[in-house]
Amino acid sequence: MTKKDFWTNSRVAVIGAGSWGTVLAHLASLNCSEVRIWVRDDELAGQINATRVNKKYVPELTLNDRVRAYSDLEKVFDASSGVQCVIWALPSSVCRKESFRLAKHFRGDELVLHATKGIEEGTLKRVSEVLKEELPTPRIGVISGPNLAHEVASKQPAATVVASHFDEVVAAGQALLSSESFRVYPADDVIGVEWAGTLKNILAIASGALDAMGLGWNSRATLITRGLAEMVRFGMAMGANQSTFLGLAGVGDLLATGSSNLSRNYRVGMRLAKGEKLPDILKDLGSTAEGVRTTQTVYEFAQSRGIEMPITGAVYRLVKDGASIKELIPSLMARPSSAAEI
Amino acid sequence: MRAETDDFLTAPNRDSELYGPTGSHPSIRFEHLPVVQGPLSTLDTSRSKLLKDVTDKTAADLLGNSKASMDMLLSEALYQEKARLRRERVNIFTRQRKKNDYRLWNQIQSGLLKSPSVVDRRMLFDNVLHHYAEEIGGHFNPKTYEFATRTVPFGFSWLLNAASVRRFLPWKLTQSLESRLKIVGEIPMIRKLAQEGTILLVPTHQSNIDSVLIGYVIYLMGLPPFSYGAGLNLFSNPVLSYFMGGLGAYTVDRKKSNPIYKHLLKNYSTRILQEGIHSIFFPGGGRSRSGAIETKLKLGLLGTGLEAEIENIRTNKPKPRVFVVPMVVSYHFVLEASSLIEDYLSEAGKHRFIITDDESWQPTKILSFFWKLFSAQSGITCRIGKPMDIFGNFVDENGRSIGPNGTTIDPVRWLTSRGEVVANQQRDREYVRELGVRLADRFHKENTVISSHLVAFSFFETLRRQYPDLDLFRLLRISLQQRTLPLDTVLAAAEHFYKKVRALADRGDLYLDPELKSADTLKWFQDGLNSLGLFHDDGVVRMGDGTVWTEDMYLLYYYRNRLAGYGLSEMSHLYDKKGFLD
Repeated sequence: MTKKDFWTNSRVAVIGAGSWGTVLAHLASLNCSEVRIWVRDDELAGQINATRVNKKYVPELTLNDRVRAYSDLEKVFDASSGVQCVIWALPSSVCRKESFRLAKHFRGDELVLHATKGIEEGTLKRVSEVLKEELPTPRIGVISGPNLAHEVASKQPAATVVASHFDEVVAAGQALLSSESFRVYPADDVIGVEWAGTLKNILAIASGALDAMGLGWNSRATLITRGLAEMVRFGMAMGANQSTFLGLAGVGDLLATGSSNLSRNYRVGMRLAKGEKLPDILKDLGSTAEGVRTTQTVYEFAQSRGIEMPITGAVYRLVKDGASIKELIPSLMARPSSAAEI
Repeated sequence: MRAETDDFLTAPNRDSELYGPTGSHPSIRFEHLPVVQGPLSTLDTSRSKLLKDVTDKTAADLLGNSKASMDMLLSEALYQEKARLRRERVNIFTRQRKKNDYRLWNQIQSGLLKSPSVVDRRMLFDNVLHHYAEEIGGHFNPKTYEFATRTVPFGFSWLLNAASVRRFLPWKLTQSLESRLKIVGEIPMIRKLAQEGTILLVPTHQSNIDSVLIGYVIYLMGLPPFSYGAGLNLFSNPVLSYFMGGLGAYTVDRKKSNPIYKHLLKNYSTRILQEGIHSIFFPGGGRSRSGAIETKLKLGLLGTGLEAEIENIRTNKPKPRVFVVPMVVSYHFVLEASSLIEDYLSEAGKHRFIITDDESWQPTKILSFFWKLFSAQSGITCRIGKPMDIFGNFVDENGRSIGPNGTTIDPVRWLTSRGEVVANQQRDREYVRELGVRLADRFHKENTVISSHLVAFSFFETLRRQYPDLDLFRLLRISLQQRTLPLDTVLAAAEHFYKKVRALADRGDLYLDPELKSADTLKWFQDGLNSLGLFHDDGVVRMGDGTVWTEDMYLLYYYRNRLAGYGLSEMSHLYDKKGFLD
């Protein structure tokens, strides 16, 4: 069977019906025979199937008929037919718990693509590492890039990166997600793509905070470039390729989320800078802001390894200690400069 | 069971087997066993067919879909082989082989100069394949095996009795080989799995003694003979070649790097596994030069296990599985230690594959090694590690692969791509890479830490802390006075590192030898110090007048490295490691 025929006749499971999960389910449904999306909430599943719309997260998108929502995992992974690809779109905070719970449904030949931008708190493990530890299936990859779900839902041209150590997984991602308005680039630097997607969340908070101060383009460009340098430094310490950070998953994602109020992390940063308290903001937000958790984990690790990350340090103080942005900016500017800095 | 060793063995769950007074697994009997027949026993009868299949497959692989023409393949091999032959030094044992090689390649050369209509390229190609196949293809002679299994322990026992001073004490006379060779670990498991599929035994490699030792351990475990790839250079060693000739060894020549040879070798070892013949690979490539446990493994040969299993599944073999069983040997002293570490440290070490003049080439040294071994208090520990499948998942005694969270893994699913069980080069390379990573991890976790390694490590690290500014090469050159430290300082460090390895053992990250049972630091330190120095004339670490010093920094570093890779060193967090192996 040719590659194309195989995926055209395949069944795909999407785990998680947040905004990005829903949009990915829709994209995949255009290239395969059936998409089963797992929704924790029974009511929401019924509503999606009845109205073809995920009103809670992406009200503007009418889903393809081939997308079916289920709250019962048995039905998603239906043993008699099975799925060929699993798209994992849950927040990183529940990754360990949910993969542990779902392990028994996997058979071993399904290809897994995750779309989570975050890492496991404390352990610094990437999502693909957690999935590999918990799921009895080896072929795992990651989707990441400048992909604000609502823009992709409204068919604005966009691109993403699918990275895996397995060419099969990359090919599956390309076959399933490509459309006339969505382009999929292949990559094999899994570490780089996952860390880029994670680290840019920290900078998105910084960027929101900066904008709250009403600062202009010079400041923002400085933040983005110096922030990127931090990302590269940290990423390389983790074993990533430098060039990945110059691609869609790195600078691409940074530009999209670093200046868009569609980004949750950006909104957190903005409201923190205005003096609001973190718990209140998170309560209002309704969905996860990965960057908040990431900041602490990354900052502490960077400290222990002696990786210089001044901007991350400032975001850490903003998030953790509620330091005021008015104090943080001068402290960043007054850092002793070093000639060797890249 | 020695009562005092109970709680000190390791974490209680890990070594639940009750070891007898010898320290070996209770099912190991040091007596003459009937030889277990395996598929290797009939290898000689099917040899010619097997070699023909392998050469045919290699020709098909190389010529089938590749763009490289026969002329290209032959010319490349010709160029490399001529260069190799020019560099090669011969001795009385290898002269004839070199002559034969020259004859073949001269013939290929003159053939290639003529037009293809005059000299058939395929004929030349087949000649090369045939020549290599004959060189690689092992013999197995059941008579030799039977003879060796009688001779080895007899030789060992004789040496033991002759060497041991305790032979003068009549009540110790019964003590024999078993007190010097501890075989521990998953022995019932490997026996069971040998029935369920094909075993691929992958030991760490420190010494040329390994092959003989491992062969003997396999025999003691009651397993049928294993096939293994032995360096061609070993066959020119009169002592070692005697043991290898008829024992199912096939030859591997790491100096031959042309695609024809490499392909043929890979196909041969795959085929051996497919025949259900248990095999041994040293995945580190050669002996560990630094003394450290292997971290970078050669994936080419490891990949043959996966290839064999895929072929077995595709052809519906009744027992298609291949099981990878790690094995870690701990020596108090290594015969070739001096040559190995010098090779590692010298620039040339990066280019030299084979040392042709080390201690294992000198019969007197070998004899002296065994003499020292048997007169020592403690000997060799050999641990059979937890068996894995070809992806690096653990397996249970029925050969079922265990996945995370209590799931069972069906290897057929892992080998299915787009609905079919197929070989897939890219996917398989990744599987093998992953296996390599897991195996290197298992090597560290199955390692048994013995007192001498801990002595070397503690002392070296104390020196390193004394001179924090020195890089490796400068530290290795400090004066005798500089490398003499107060005993108290070294003992404090020893106690400190002992606690650290203890913690690692409790976490299941390594094993501790029962001889490290003594909470009395001075006692185990002294034991370790005595064992460590034993083989080397000047000793490695010495003690006296309230001070500890080393006679040989290189050897100290070599033995210290056995505990590299665990993050034990306090200096290892430094960004600039100054060349130290951590």
